[in-house]
Amino acid sequence: MENLIRNEKIISDLLPQKFGKAGKIWVGVLTAICLVGLYAYYRQLRYGLIVTSMRDYVSWGIYISNFVFFVAISLVGSLITAVFRLAGVKWGSPLTRIAEIIAVAAIIFASLIIIVDMGSPERFYNLFIYGRIQSPIIWDVIVITTYFFISILLLYYPLLPDIQILLRFKESTGKRLYRFYSFIGSFWKGTAEQFELSEKAINILCIAIIPVAFTIHTVTSWLFATTYRPGWDSTNFGAYFIAGAFLVGAGAVVVAMYIFRRAYHLEKYITENHFEKMGRILVLLSLLYLYFNMNEFLTPFFKMKESEAAYLNGLFSGNFAPLFWFAILTGMIVPTLILLFKKGRKPLPVFIAGVMVVVGAWFKRYLIVTPTLLHPFLPMHDVPASYRHYFPSWEEWAITLGSLAGAMLIITVLARIFPIIPIQETITEQHETAE
Amino acid sequence: MKPQNKLFTGLLTLVFLLPAYNGFSQAHPKGDLGIAVNYFISNNKIPSLMVKVKTKVDGRFQNVAGISLKLFLDKDTVGKFIAKVVTNDAGEATAYIPSSLKSQWGNALKHTFVATFDGNSKYEAAKGDVTVAKAKILIDAGNDKTVTATVLEMKDTSWVPVKGVDVVLAIKRMDADLTINDKPTFTTDSTGKASGDFKRDTIPGDAKGNITLVAKVLDNDQYGNLSIEKAVPWGAKFTMLNTFDKRTLFATRNKAPIWIQLIAYSIMFTVWGILIYLVFNVFKIKKLGEDKIS
Repeated sequence: MENLIRNEKIISDLLPQKFGKAGKIWVGVLTAICLVGLYAYYRQLRYGLIVTSMRDYVSWGIYISNFVFFVAISLVGSLITAVFRLAGVKWGSPLTRIAEIIAVAAIIFASLIIIVDMGSPERFYNLFIYGRIQSPIIWDVIVITTYFFISILLLYYPLLPDIQILLRFKESTGKRLYRFYSFIGSFWKGTAEQFELSEKAINILCIAIIPVAFTIHTVTSWLFATTYRPGWDSTNFGAYFIAGAFLVGAGAVVVAMYIFRRAYHLEKYITENHFEKMGRILVLLSLLYLYFNMNEFLTPFFKMKESEAAYLNGLFSGNFAPLFWFAILTGMIVPTLILLFKKGRKPLPVFIAGVMVVVGAWFKRYLIVTPTLLHPFLPMHDVPASYRHYFPSWEEWAITLGSLAGAMLIITVLARIFPIIPIQETITEQHETAE
Repeated sequence: MKPQNKLFTGLLTLVFLLPAYNGFSQAHPKGDLGIAVNYFISNNKIPSLMVKVKTKVDGRFQNVAGISLKLFLDKDTVGKFIAKVVTNDAGEATAYIPSSLKSQWGNALKHTFVATFDGNSKYEAAKGDVTVAKAKILIDAGNDKTVTATVLEMKDTSWVPVKGVDVVLAIKRMDADLTINDKPTFTTDSTGKASGDFKRDTIPGDAKGNITLVAKVLDNDQYGNLSIEKAVPWGAKFTMLNTFDKRTLFATRNKAPIWIQLIAYSIMFTVWGILIYLVFNVFKIKKLGEDKIS
């Protein structure tokens, strides 16, 4: 009886909640940003890529920076769900759904932003018609599609027991949502056989997602590393990108944890202990990424090859220096300093550190793409002045911000539809703890 | 006079006066041209001439294009006319000695080639000439990889060896020629011969290893430019590696290397095989649920 009451309390706490006033404003703002982005994309389709500031030098601008950012952030699904699960980290289970939702939203927009970068969307079709298996671009297309599919499955399988619970609340969920729940999971009856098959599938997915996650970001790094350019000509790029991806992914999770905890009053389920532990993980990942950054920049700085000098000086003390040091300090050093102290691992400081990591990570991706393209090994002669500088046009900003808003909108909508913390898993864990 | 007639008369006067405007300005002095005539004979066959035209602008020589020149053998008279040529952007023009002048060519041991320019609005008339003695060059390649050039001059009715002529012994390449060893030139001895050892064993030749040796006398005051070639199998055999339409990393999609296809497709099929299995697994779970209901 006591168990039943406890279960009902967990269910009522964790059921998806309708948007309040703040939620509606939040969705409205995100939708407005998306619409502005859509209008900018319409202009890009109407007038061509000339509406962007991308020219022959910087042909990959903030679209590609944003793409790398989304791919990086999507890796969190494999970290929180798969790595934690396989390593037997029990405390991470309330965070798995958040991580998977972020991963799905990010990978959707990573795919979309690549199509935006192509200019005309029908060029994407050409990738399949003329794409070469020898090209890292095709590997990226294949691996992003695979990762998206795995992420969807990894979101779906653990949802099945929760759908059974959600179907019990026909009145409060509403007709359309109830029909949707019925469509995706009414067959789940919670039998031992079903649980066995589901557990087996989740285990397989957790094993499969790790190499695919490593591949997705390694291949993305190879898009750069296989191109002979200052700053990209590195054998370290795969590991450097993966370290950065885990950091920004973990940063995004702590930000989402804090917001959902506050918005849905989940203090009982996302506890201070979760922030304490995620804070420690963030420190470890920050230091790891800092180490890779030192590898990436210190050795070229020491050699200062003539062909790379302009690029490196531009980063360390030139035009890009404020942005570069901002990204290093905000994205790695300051969060590490905050999180090293016990007081710094309380929810609010961890949230602030997480925001800093995510913002720093976005600018870090911009710095990976743009300064390199502005300093080719073989500069063109007599190029127009506009080729030598790059500052995104309003259309690029609008599309980029629209994509970021779109990803957050997907996360918000998924959090509205599905329980943000796995209900069945929480009940089972409570039982195990009680025993 | 009607006003419109006045206007018409005025305009007509202006039109007639405008060409006279030049008459008020002082005419520019015409430039001087320098014409250099060079004589060439390759493989002791038909001789040719190359004329180079320059002018001095601000103390520097510059090539002059578009200059029309008449070339003559010995004298600038109608019967000795070789050709009419126009200089190119490099200020150069070439012409072969026509067969019509064969008898005049055979009559003397020395000839003067004359190039004349009649002058135009920019340049004064000019003339250039070169006198050469009839000579020829022979090449011989020994089994011990020695290259010998012999320079002979026509004296009376026979060819006699010439001593003290600088000869370049080289291998003909796509662009500039490559000397057969480190020595830039070889000088002929009393027998008219100049020899050098071939030291470029590893140089690539054609598919059979053939290379072309060349012996050259360059800008000689007496003989002009003489050259002769000979093919020898002294080069390394060169097998052209053409990767076009072969399986390479940079080939088209249907020419991807087998190894990359094997690796890529086996990974893809394995991973997607697992994913398809997991999708079927959902249907299995669904069936179990439906069985439970029934």
